Order: sequence, then C-alpha cells, then structure tokens
Amino acid sequence: MNYYALFLQLLPEAVLVITALVLLGVAVTIEAKTRRPIAMEWAIAISCVGIVGACAALNFGPAHAESASTLLVVDPLARVFKAVVLGLGLLAVLLPPAQREISQPGEFHALMLFAITGLLLTVGTDHLLFLFVALELASLSMYLLAGFSRSAKAAEASLKYFLFGGVSAAFFLFGLSLIYGFCHALTVPAIAAALTAGPLPPFAAVGLLMVIVGLGFKLAAAPFHYWAPDVYQGAPATSVALIAAASKAVGAVVLVRLLLLGFRECAGSAVWGLMHPGWALWLAVLAAVSMILGNVLALAQTSVRRLLAYSAVANTGYLLVALSANGEYAAGAALFYVVVYGLATFGALAVTAAVEQERGDDSLGAFAGLVHRSPLQALALLVFLTSLAGVPPLAGFAGKFMMFGAAMAESTTPQGTPGLTWLVGLAAVMSAISLYYYLMLLKQAFVREDADATPVELSTSHRLALLIPAVLLVALGLFPALLLSPLTRALQLTFL
Amino acid sequence: MTPAWTLISAFAGALLVLLLPARSAGMARVVALLASATGALAAAAACLAKLQHPDAPAWSFDRPWIPHLGIQFHLAANGLSLSLLLLTGLVAIAGVLFSWNVTQRPRAFFAFFMTIIGGVYGVFLSRDAFLLFVFYEIVILPKYMLIAIWGSTNREYGAMKLTMYSIGSSALILIGLVVAYAAAGGTSFDLDFLASYKYAPSLQCWAFPVLFLGFGVLAGMWPFHTWAPTGHVAAPTAASMLLAGVVMKLGAYGALCVAMPLFPQGFFEWRLVIAGLAVVGIIYGALTALTQRDLKFVIGYSSVSHMGFILLGLATATHWGLRGGMLQMISHGIVAGLLFGIAGRVVYERTHTRDLTALGAFDLWRTLPGAAFAFTLATAASMGLPGFSGFVAEISVGIGVWESDPWLIVPVAVGIIVTGAFSLRAMHRAFFPVRDATAAAAPMLPPLTWPEISAIALLISVSLAIGVYPLPWVTLIDDGLNSPLFHSILALP
Repeated sequence: MNYYALFLQLLPEAVLVITALVLLGVAVTIEAKTRRPIAMEWAIAISCVGIVGACAALNFGPAHAESASTLLVVDPLARVFKAVVLGLGLLAVLLPPAQREISQPGEFHALMLFAITGLLLTVGTDHLLFLFVALELASLSMYLLAGFSRSAKAAEASLKYFLFGGVSAAFFLFGLSLIYGFCHALTVPAIAAALTAGPLPPFAAVGLLMVIVGLGFKLAAAPFHYWAPDVYQGAPATSVALIAAASKAVGAVVLVRLLLLGFRECAGSAVWGLMHPGWALWLAVLAAVSMILGNVLALAQTSVRRLLAYSAVANTGYLLVALSANGEYAAGAALFYVVVYGLATFGALAVTAAVEQERGDDSLGAFAGLVHRSPLQALALLVFLTSLAGVPPLAGFAGKFMMFGAAMAESTTPQGTPGLTWLVGLAAVMSAISLYYYLMLLKQAFVREDADATPVELSTSHRLALLIPAVLLVALGLFPALLLSPLTRALQLTFL
Repeated sequence: MTPAWTLISAFAGALLVLLLPARSAGMARVVALLASATGALAAAAACLAKLQHPDAPAWSFDRPWIPHLGIQFHLAANGLSLSLLLLTGLVAIAGVLFSWNVTQRPRAFFAFFMTIIGGVYGVFLSRDAFLLFVFYEIVILPKYMLIAIWGSTNREYGAMKLTMYSIGSSALILIGLVVAYAAAGGTSFDLDFLASYKYAPSLQCWAFPVLFLGFGVLAGMWPFHTWAPTGHVAAPTAASMLLAGVVMKLGAYGALCVAMPLFPQGFFEWRLVIAGLAVVGIIYGALTALTQRDLKFVIGYSSVSHMGFILLGLATATHWGLRGGMLQMISHGIVAGLLFGIAGRVVYERTHTRDLTALGAFDLWRTLPGAAFAFTLATAASMGLPGFSGFVAEISVGIGVWESDPWLIVPVAVGIIVTGAFSLRAMHRAFFPVRDATAAAAPMLPPLTWPEISAIALLISVSLAIGVYPLPWVTLIDDGLNSPLFHSILALP
C-alpha cells in the first residue's frame, strides 16, 4: 500500500479534520482563560481557512488514477463533487448562526467541519460499507448540529432527525447486506460485473429497494420526508443550510454512483404502459409522490422555513425525474440542478435567517416591506426564489429545462413513442404550481408595505452568504455550460 | 443597425434605469424613452432595409450556448418578426410616454417595463426553442410586479391570476417543446431543424394541442381568456398597453411560428376546433363587452374578441388567413395600446373613475375634447372601419375564412356587428353623454399633456398609415410566410 499516495488522496479530508481539532483546541484554551466562549467571528474565520485549505488540497490529489486504497475511488465525479461540497459547506459556514442560538461557536463549527468531512468521504468512495460509515459520520454530526441551540424546538428537530435517520440507516445497511448476499461484491464496479441484464432476482431487488428507501430519507423524498419540516424549522439556520444544500448534493451523487453505475442493467422501465419493475420505476414513483406532496403542502405553509422544507421535497422530486431516465445527460443535468438548487435554497435560508434576526420569527408577514428595509436582501431573495421556481434567466430554470429535456430525450425511442412523458409532464405542471408559493413570499417582500422601514445592516459574512450564491445563480443561468461541461465530462469519464 | 439592437437597447435600458442613483430617479423615464426609441429605430431601420433589399440574406446570429443538449444562442429575423419588432418598439415608446407621471418607485417601474419589452423582442428574434422559451418566461415576473405594485382595482388578485395562467401555459409549452426535441432525436433545439423533422402522426395529434393551448392561453383563446380582462383592468396603464398590445401577441406568434410549423399534421387535425373556439371568442368577447360598466373591462373583453380574429386567421391555414392574422396582431397591438392609454391614463387619472355612467357626469367631450377625439378615432380603428388598420386585417381574415370554410363567415359577421355595437355604446356613454339642461356643470379637467398627445398621435398615425397604405406591412409579412417554415401548412390542401 502506497501511504504517500493515500495521504495525498485524503489531504482535503485531513485538512478539515486538523482544522476542526485546532478549532476545538483554540476554543477550549480561550474558554479556560477568559471564561467566555470563543467569538463567533473567530470560529467562522478558522473554519473558512480550513475549508479553503481543503479546496486547495484537492488540487494536490491525483485526478484520475489508480486509487491507493480499495475503499476510496479517484475519479472526476468524486473530484468535482468534493469541490461542490466544499463550496456549499463554505457558504453554510459563512452564514452566522444567531448569537443567542449558539453558545459554543467553537464546538459548533468543529462539528460543521466533521460533517463536511463525512460528506467528502461519501462522495469519494464506491465501497458500499465505507459509504455507509462515511454517510453515518456526516449524519451523526448533522443530528448534533440540528439540536445545537438547546431550545425545545431544536431538541424536537434533532430527535426527529435522529430517529428517522437511524431507521433509514438500518434500512440502508440491511439493503446493502442483501445486495452483498446476492452479488458477493461490495464495490460498485464489482456489483455491475456480477449482474446480468434483465430483471433483478427478488432478494437483490428487495435490497436495492431498501437502499433507495434509506437514501430517500436522506434526500427528503416523499413519503420519507417527515423529518424535514421540523428540522428546517427548529434547527439553527447554519445547520439547515448544510443539511439542505451539501447533504442533498451528496445524496444525488450516491444515487448516481449506485444506480447508474452499479445497477445500470436493472433499471426496469417507467414508461407509461410498459412498466417493468426496477429502480427506474421506483424512482419515478418516488418522484411523482414527492412533487405532488411537496408542492401541494407548501401551498398551505405560513412559516417560511417549513415552506422551504416542502419545496425541498418537491425539488427532490424533479431530481428523481431526471435520475429515473437512466442516462448520462439526464444525470449530468440532475447533478447540475442539485448544485444550483443547493445555492438557491441556501440563499433563501440566509435571507430567512436575516429576517428572523431582525423580526424574531419566520412567518410570511415578517417579510413585509423587505425591499424598503434592505434592498439587497429583497433582490437576493428575488434571485433565489425565482431560481427555485425555474424562471429564466436564472440557473434553476436552465437546470429544470435541461433535466426535463434530457430525461425525455433519454427515455424516448426513435420510433416516436413518448416514454417518460407522463412524469416530465407532471414535473412541468408541478413546477408551474410552485411559482404560486414562491410568489406569496415575494409579494410580501416587494408589494406589501410595512410601517417599519428602518434600514437593516448585515454582518460582512452574512452579506457574502447572500451575494455569492446570487451572483453564481445569475452567472450559471446565463452560461450553464460553465458547470454543466465539467459535470458531463466527469460523468462520461466515470462511466468509461 | 442589426435587429439585435432592439434586444440590447431594451435590456441595457432596464439595467441603466436600475443603476441610476436614488436622487436622479426622475431620469428613469428619460432613459426608458431613449432605450425604447433606440429599439423602435433599430426595428424600423431593419424593416426599411428589408423592404429595399428583399432578397438580401437575412441577418442572423448563431453561437453555441449549451452544446451538451444542442442549444444554440440563435437569433434571426424574417419579415414577419421584423414587423412585430417594430410594433413592439412603437408600443414601448407610447407606453413610456403614457407613464410619464409615474412617481412611485420609478426606477423599479421602468426597469420592469424595459425587461418586458426586452423579453418580447427576444421571443420574436429567437430561432432556438430553448432561447425562445427563456425570453417567453422572462416576461412573467415583471408582469406580476408591475401589476401587483403599481396596479389599481384588485391588483394582487389580478396579478396572481395572470401569472398563474402564464406559468401554467408555459408548462404546456415546455412539455410540447421537450417532446418535439426528444422525438426528433434529442440533438438540437433549433426551430428550423425541429420544423423540418417529420413527427409521427400519433405524436402530432396529442403534442400539437398541448403546445398550441400553451400559446393560446397567452393569446386569450376562449375559454382560457379569463386572465386577460382582470389582468388588464388591474394593471397600470403602461402594463395594460404592453399586455394587450404585445404580450398577448407572444402567444399568437408562438402559435403561428412554433406550434403550427412543428406539428402541421396535428394542426390540420385540430384546425376546426381552433376555428370554433376562435369564433366563440369573437362573439363571446364582444357580447360580454356589451354589458360591462367599467371602461377598461370593455376594452379588456374587446381584446378577447379581437384576438379571436387572429386565431381564426391562423386556423384557416390559407395565405390570406395567416396574413390577416398577422395584420390583426399589429393592428390590435396599436389600437389596444391606444384605447388602454386613453382610458387608463388620460381619462382615469383626471376623473378617478372608469364607470361608464359616472363618466357621463364629466361631460368629457366638452371638458376633454382632445381625449374624446382620440377615443373616437381609436374606436373607429377598433371597429375596423375602412381607412384604419383594423379594416385591412379583418377583411384579410374574412377572405381567408371564405377560402377555407365559407360557412364560418356568418358568425364572424355577427361578431363584427356586435363589435360595432359595444364600441359605439362605450364611446357614447363615456364621452358623449346625453345630459339634460338642468344638470350641474361638469368640473373642469386639466388639458392633455405633451407626452399624452405625442403618444396618441404616434399610435393613431400608425393605425391610419397601415389602413391607407398596407403594402409595406403586407410585403414584410409575406416575406415571413414564404419562408420554408410555413410550406407544410400552406402547401397542404
């Protein structure tokens, strides 16, 4: 075993862990000396340095080579998405949690770094057992992050998240064991080699179904989404930002790796009238249920955080539409979408956090007159929500259009029989409905007047947390190829 | 100047207006006027160049945009798009002039206004389905904001209804375009390529109505027209002008230049259904307008009726019919803009009522003779009297109908008669009321301002020009209709 190569390969993760330990050490020292916890700004600064360092370390690793360990893979997909996870993680760290929510910023941010480490490891493996361990590292950190603010709501959120997450982990692991029992293989390529085209044998099918259920929990796909509204509402905004953006991107990558690489031959068919059991059909059903439930329930929400949670459920649905098409281009578009979705949801959460700090709650009414109090927040909110709703020229539109277009194209036979048309049609209609609840929020911010029009000042890092995703969404909306090209190339190289 | 300057000037204008410092917010209208004038000039120059050199190669701009899905940034303009660009430019100038007195958040107002104009230009210029859809959807959010923030009667409801209809219709368009893309091999979104692909008849049969309905909703097709009157009434004057004048034309343009060439066989299957809905729309809109008490509702429902003529022209599948539909688009764009401008800006800002009976108390033909004169001309144009653009358009549609389905001419004639009735009724009640000698003297009203007069003069002269000498417009439109895009429609029986 080449330990030096392994070290280089794991350098980003190592940088993160070391930064987390340093942060903990500094926090403990400062607290012992001054009897006061480390200042929030310091904790944020140290974590940012760590994440930027990890990004830089990413460049030292080999790009496409033999992995130094059978547990880890070195492929372009992993590399691109490590960068994505680090970027989304950096944004989440930049969003300062409310001072009164978090009493120990040192520990909180160390946990953030551990969670990001777990997500990085998850992206960089195709060994099922290691995947489980890495996913649990991330999940355990996130359970703690969700309940960090010691309020009753946060405790409820954390407990729910933990219980649902625990059950889903059990499903995931049991499914893996069934798959292992059938394939006698633990890595994705070995599984692909062990499978033959055609329907899966029953045991492996049950195993795969359980794995999908487990991942469905992580992705907040309906009907496994019950934790999401409470976690989005109760947990500190920073934790929610990580759970909503980075962890969803990772879930999508795991799905792509497992299903499109490992079980490609056993997709079955979700074509209307020609359905065959297989993961494509299951994903299509999950997608339809998620889109309908998420969008319909979001219509009735008055808390913006809960609204964003249901919008997350709906967006998981769109994502699964593209993945169920079982093709490279659709998968590329899906990965594109999960990134821009992460940016937009993160931004919306950042605005919500700012409004909460100012007004004390996250009801729709708290946003009234936002454009007069803070034009920056209002404009940023406009960008984020219209991107989520899929209105051009923002990246969310490009993502949705490409997902639906590619899904339809991949699933259509040249003879002109429309295939996934029913699902894409449903997705287009549901996406149109979603504009209604996003507009409800924008109406408050732009149309409704509020007596209080005193300007609001934001901290620098909070301002960055609004500006960076907004600029990225506009840029990626005008030039989607900037992100789509590396993703598609990575997928194509990985598929070879 | 290439036609691209229309697009550039509109979006640059929107950006410039936003970047104005807060203390010079009053400059917003000047910037918007300059940007609109640049766009209109660019469109006019392109039209003139086309008329002088009809055989010169058409301008086009083609760059790869998202190569993975075969999406190109492809702009081009034939005579058909050029004439609509010019219409948009003219309505934009008039819209800015009629909004000269907007003082509430003027920068945001004109930024949204110019964004709509830019989106409309973009749709008319796009030769790539994805690009066309982008511009088509760019228009939606500014529409909502204009109505919800600056609107009047029931604005939040009207804005939301209009937006949900628009986004719902674009969901249908999205499905239709994506199906066409996928069925043609999933390699290119180029409209000319998609139109040249022979789709299976079974696919055309269901994909055409989806796509056509998507565009038809925006074109005010009965029974999906209900967003139009409420939206037009709730909107501020400039937005009503844009909505009725050009945004509804996006739907008609999409139906003509996207839905029909893409699925010609589907079109022939559904042709009579469309014609039927169009005729119902003509008569229903006119009859409803006959019973309205609010002047803007009268104009709103008259738009539904007039848009029916466009759809009917398209449904004839004859050269005359398509040409008439196009002429009606241009004519209605001018006339509806004019009517909404007079009713919403000139009259309402002074009297603060649009109720036909209440307006009678103002004795408008004495106190506001300029407005009464302009409205009379506009009504004449709207009724399609000879000498105005509406006549040229309706007679062409009529010839088309006679060529394809002669029996349909009867309900069309009924529609024209009812149009005359409601137009005269509204004009009479609002501007020339019968007053007994004992009634109190009407209050004095401020006279027309220069921006109002110039906008009215601009629109009326264009309508008259088309009515008296339609040849240039017909030449431009025929250039578009002779392109290969329409061979499959006009060549078939």
